[in-house]
Amino acid sequence: MAGTVGGRCAVELRGVGKRYTKYVDTPMLVTSALRLRAGHRRDRLWALRGVDLDVEDGESFGVIGRNGSGKSTLMMLVGGITAPTEGSLRVWGRVAPLISVGVGFHRELTGRENIYVNGTVLGLTRRQIDRRLDAIVDFAEVEQFIDTPVKFYSSGMFVRLGFAVAVHADPDVLIVDEVLAVGDLAFQVKCYERMNEIRSRGTTVVMVSHHLGAVRRMCERVLLLHDGRPVHVGPPEESIARFHEVLAQSSEVRVDHDSGLRFDPTAVRIDAVELLAVDGSPTAHVEVGEPLTVRVRGCALRDVDDLVVALTVFAADGTALYADSTAGSHFGPVAGGCAFACTLGFRARLPTGSYQVAARVDAADLRTTLAHFPPKDFFVTGRHTVAGLADLEMQWTRSDVEGTAAGAGQPGQATAARALGGTVQARAPHGADATAGAPARGAEHDGSGRATAMPAGASVHGPDRR
Amino acid sequence: MAADHNDHKVGACRAFSDRAWPASGRARGGLETTLTATSAVVPSPARPESPATVDLHGEATPPSRLARQLWAARPLLVILARKEFHVRYRRASFGLLWAVGLPLLQSAIVAVVFSRVARFGHAPHYPVFVLSGMAPWLYVTAVLGTGATAIVDSADLSSRVYFPRVVLPLVQVVAGLYGFAVTVAAMVALCPVFGVGLGPRTLLLLPASALLVVLAAAACVVASILHVYFRDVRYLVTAGLMVWMYVTPVIYPAADLGRLRVAVDLNPLTGVVDLFHAATVGGAGPMAVAVWVSVCWAVVLLVSGAALACRFDRVAADLL
Repeated sequence: MAGTVGGRCAVELRGVGKRYTKYVDTPMLVTSALRLRAGHRRDRLWALRGVDLDVEDGESFGVIGRNGSGKSTLMMLVGGITAPTEGSLRVWGRVAPLISVGVGFHRELTGRENIYVNGTVLGLTRRQIDRRLDAIVDFAEVEQFIDTPVKFYSSGMFVRLGFAVAVHADPDVLIVDEVLAVGDLAFQVKCYERMNEIRSRGTTVVMVSHHLGAVRRMCERVLLLHDGRPVHVGPPEESIARFHEVLAQSSEVRVDHDSGLRFDPTAVRIDAVELLAVDGSPTAHVEVGEPLTVRVRGCALRDVDDLVVALTVFAADGTALYADSTAGSHFGPVAGGCAFACTLGFRARLPTGSYQVAARVDAADLRTTLAHFPPKDFFVTGRHTVAGLADLEMQWTRSDVEGTAAGAGQPGQATAARALGGTVQARAPHGADATAGAPARGAEHDGSGRATAMPAGASVHGPDRR
Repeated sequence: MAADHNDHKVGACRAFSDRAWPASGRARGGLETTLTATSAVVPSPARPESPATVDLHGEATPPSRLARQLWAARPLLVILARKEFHVRYRRASFGLLWAVGLPLLQSAIVAVVFSRVARFGHAPHYPVFVLSGMAPWLYVTAVLGTGATAIVDSADLSSRVYFPRVVLPLVQVVAGLYGFAVTVAAMVALCPVFGVGLGPRTLLLLPASALLVVLAAAACVVASILHVYFRDVRYLVTAGLMVWMYVTPVIYPAADLGRLRVAVDLNPLTGVVDLFHAATVGGAGPMAVAVWVSVCWAVVLLVSGAALACRFDRVAADLL
């Protein structure tokens, strides 16, 4: 991804460093002029050091790190708000920093006037603002209040207006510092859609976020900063894994099940991850419900007693749908230098769409990650009626109130009762028989009997099933 | 959003073409660069052939670049000045009348009190004398009062987006011009009432106003940058303004001072006030010593202001 031939550079940093000077006592002109104090006690702090970076035109680039790692300093440098103490920094194209919404807003001015102030501050000309005014007001949903002073706005309206102006600023390079999570849920959805639209238009986006899911979803490359130094640049999964390692090494971090992972790349290496169909041929397409095989081939770099192979399935927007591993079963030792392969299978009970599966090798104690591999894409052809994140294979039956010829005699209904584990109350005249029989049938066919019930009940089981 | 180019501190000038700020439309128009053969070998993406809009090598800005950025920041200056204006006068019940009323009221009080109490009333046409001195004085007070702390007061703006920071004191200079213009108009209108004839010498008001604005702007720029680093500048300015009126011949004619006149002439505002007097009631004349002193002060303050801006404009945000 880095340095794709044909990509133009949008942001270039070479050896950039930023040092801040904090004075212990605020210096006063009078005392400085008269030299009344022996000298100003001050602390010099390198907030950022040795950053070399190239962001391509149109790329979405993320920056993660702990608080105090220099992320905001980097954003301020790229946005031109401050200048580097050492090194050189170049940006091509118009830059709009989105460090907080409503920059330049004043409470006494109306919404309309504030749009003009904020827009001018973000680099738009008056004519450009005129053209976009309606779109901005529409996005912010404040049409009725656009001519009242913003001191009468609710905090939500205020923030929506600020964000609306910012997303219509149409810069070449957009710098986002943690402001995507504003407003209520519906507005956040609009903002994410708008951000995706901005990205698809070819705007270079540099974003800082603590929300690792958003970073994984939206960024092509991610930089990890720690203590002002760049630690890793690469695909989101790699940087996030290194971030977990860094977090675990900091003793003051509370270790929960997610961030207690260490990363030890010296034990095992994953060489290949292949997706195979039922017949063993490589595939990237699978029908819903069909098994998909994932073969992980790797090599142990030193002797390992046991290891755990894990899979995670992601939806297209980066949501983790399902994760499972071989933990609990004994994988067995692998001698140093020896290759190994592990074949895992799962059923693709998913709606139509594209997904990713990522493989990982952990140590047997599940606290250390040994290797991971970039996710592989696959596509599921699902049932057209299913939407959402998973296909839970709903079945249905019709059960009318008395008078209908319902009962155990109806083959479809009986099959349905079996299929659902006998929980359907057959409202037949011989209700007692039916219910008496149901538990017995239920015992034969519990939930896993679904597969066998399927072929029999064709007409009752709603939409088509294979 | 920043269209600035920052050369190396040593000052080697490279001939970057300027990119106007704000850029209209997408600034990348016309960047279809041909790929050089080395781009396949070099791991990082190819650098565009057009110059960068943000090009920072260090903390200082060369004067020509800063001047160009200031020129490009005109729309921002205009809209921030209008915002100041609306905020000040929008909600006041008499609104714009206060812009006229306050200076006239102050001048009237001074004229009445000092002509009765301190017997300065022998100066010819004393009410107009006082008014013509008060107009520039009140402008300086208003502008320095808010302009000297302008960068720190707008920290929310300065710490979140780039624009040349010296725009902020200049906004105060421009916003104060409205009240000043109205006061001068009122003064010119009142001249015939108090028996002062208008004539060609009234045109002296133009260079007088120009000198006043330049002095005020330069003083504001210097003070506002110093204020970022030394936070007691605010109080020094307030104290200074209190004393300053009495060393400027606003209430009294300078001729009354005798030997102390030299001290008063060194005051940068004396020359300006003298020009205003010369335009209305007559006086020492436009080529007095004090006027030359004022011009020298203006040059010194402009040069200092420019030097401070070039060195600190880019990094003022660090201390906000």
